[in-house]
Amino acid sequence: MAELHIKQIGKSFGGVEVLRDISLHVKDGCFTSLLGPSGCGKSTLMRIVAGLESPSTGRVIIGGRDVTVLAPERRNISLMFQSYALLPHLSVSENIRFPLRMRRTGSRAEQDDLIAKALTLVQLEGLQDRMPRALSGGQQQRVALARAIVAQPEVLLLDEPLSNLDARLRTEMQVELIELHRRLRLTTVFVTHDQDEALTLSDRVAVMTNGRIEQEAPPSDLYDRPRTRFVADFLGAANVLELAREPGTLAIVEGQIRLPDPPRARFIALRQEDLELTRNPEHFDHSLPVQIVARVFLGGRTRYKLDVEGLTLFAIVPRGAYADAESGTHVAWNRGAIHPLSE
Amino acid sequence: MAAVDWVRAQARKESLALLAPGILVLVIAFLFPVGTILITSVLERTEDGAFELTASHFGKFFVDDYYLKVAWRTLRLALVITLATVIFGVPLAYIMRRAHPALRFAILLTVILPLMTSVVIRTFGWLVVLGNGGLLASLVAPFGVTGRSAVLMHTETGIVIAMTQVLLPFMVLTVLGVLQGIGRDLEEAGRTMGAGFWQVLRVVVLPLAVPGIVSGSLIVFALSISSFITPSLVGGVRLPVMAGSIYQSIGGSFDWPFAAAQSTLLLAATLLLIIPYARLARTP
Repeated sequence: MAELHIKQIGKSFGGVEVLRDISLHVKDGCFTSLLGPSGCGKSTLMRIVAGLESPSTGRVIIGGRDVTVLAPERRNISLMFQSYALLPHLSVSENIRFPLRMRRTGSRAEQDDLIAKALTLVQLEGLQDRMPRALSGGQQQRVALARAIVAQPEVLLLDEPLSNLDARLRTEMQVELIELHRRLRLTTVFVTHDQDEALTLSDRVAVMTNGRIEQEAPPSDLYDRPRTRFVADFLGAANVLELAREPGTLAIVEGQIRLPDPPRARFIALRQEDLELTRNPEHFDHSLPVQIVARVFLGGRTRYKLDVEGLTLFAIVPRGAYADAESGTHVAWNRGAIHPLSE
Repeated sequence: MAAVDWVRAQARKESLALLAPGILVLVIAFLFPVGTILITSVLERTEDGAFELTASHFGKFFVDDYYLKVAWRTLRLALVITLATVIFGVPLAYIMRRAHPALRFAILLTVILPLMTSVVIRTFGWLVVLGNGGLLASLVAPFGVTGRSAVLMHTETGIVIAMTQVLLPFMVLTVLGVLQGIGRDLEEAGRTMGAGFWQVLRVVVLPLAVPGIVSGSLIVFALSISSFITPSLVGGVRLPVMAGSIYQSIGGSFDWPFAAAQSTLLLAATLLLIIPYARLARTP
């Protein structure tokens, strides 16, 4: 276990800059997600931490030791691949033994002990003699996880480990990952393009796009106070609106809707939960006449697609408020719901 | 039930139809001639014109020191050539697998090019390099290596060099095929788990490449043990191999039964070596 410092990392592939001046501090025992769309550089950043790529500029420091120029095998990390990368010619227990064997950790009996513990942690007792090809996808995933944690790495790197599982198994594994992290307290970097997964699992989330970190914060901060247009958009929880620059009014460009008292920003976010459908717009700071275009039932909540003079908004309404919402003539919100965004 | 049976019967008929051309070629071009050889090798024409069973053709082979030497040379050469293609071919295949596609294509072309040249031209090329006063001789002359030791023509070493060049693509392409099935992530996983570059090659890549190395060696071994032109031209009359000796029995002394006996022995020896070896490829 150790702290991970990523300092001003830059990376270019043949003249194309894929990472620009990335700095990130992952505290000891912290679970940090790198979240972003494919091609944002999150996997490259993780490969640089693992030592599989070398950065063009910047440094990687693990537990106070500068490992920037060290080969992967000289760093005390482990990486769980999206493909699991189980060695097909080795049994489950030999796969889990592999990092111990390569690092010459303990006697064979001590290794057996560690393997048994790791198997118990991922609930695979009894499968140690199977070959990887005789396992289901979910089981292979657990073997890969056991292999990643068995050697007690200073930093655990997880590269989209859940993306090959079906939805039910994925939710199950998310819970197990949380429990496992609570128990082992490994410094963990989790790479994903799934915002729900990142928000569910992490202590902190770094949202990446175009080779930069847009915002790095605890999940709730990110959700409540997205700082940039990209973050608000990518998390998908907010309506992102572009404003016209007319002093004294909040004019939403597409609909040319004028509202008093605008924020000083070109883009604003209005969270879907903060919008209300109502017949009494006078109780709110801002309101607009609205038409319901479509509704999506989400269990405890319903998501409404709204049309405001040609502008599309989404609102999420909890179960108790359906009746009001259905008869609503206006979409309304209070001033506090508006989050100014930088571009 | 009846419908299921009908579908099964139909599927069997379709499979048979697809197999038929292959089986036909195999019977006409392989089973029939090989069968004829087997029969010829154990028959002898008596004075009254009838045929009777005999082991005399095989006896002739085993009592003559000359033929045993030929057999041993053929086997030894085939083994050394196979080993040489493994030593040169496996690393080359690994490099090709890692290389940029353009470089991979360039290597592929270089490796395959000898196959596209006529065997005679290629062998005469080696004559220019390995022969008396050839390139090799003039290269090593400044170091005081002259005379017979500088000439690899008419030596077993010369045969091995020339044969390795020709058979290398069979090894490289077979192993490359298998290596391409080993994901890069396995090697990278090995590195992140504490294994160095060479250790990853030894404990990850090599074990997984074994089936390819085995099938490559089988092809190379089978081709080199039965090769005729290159050993004859590079080795010359002093270093005959089995295929050359068989040719000699037919073309020189018209002794068809003895040629058939030698062919049978060659086939038997090849199968005896290949079958247990091929089993290796089955358990990766």
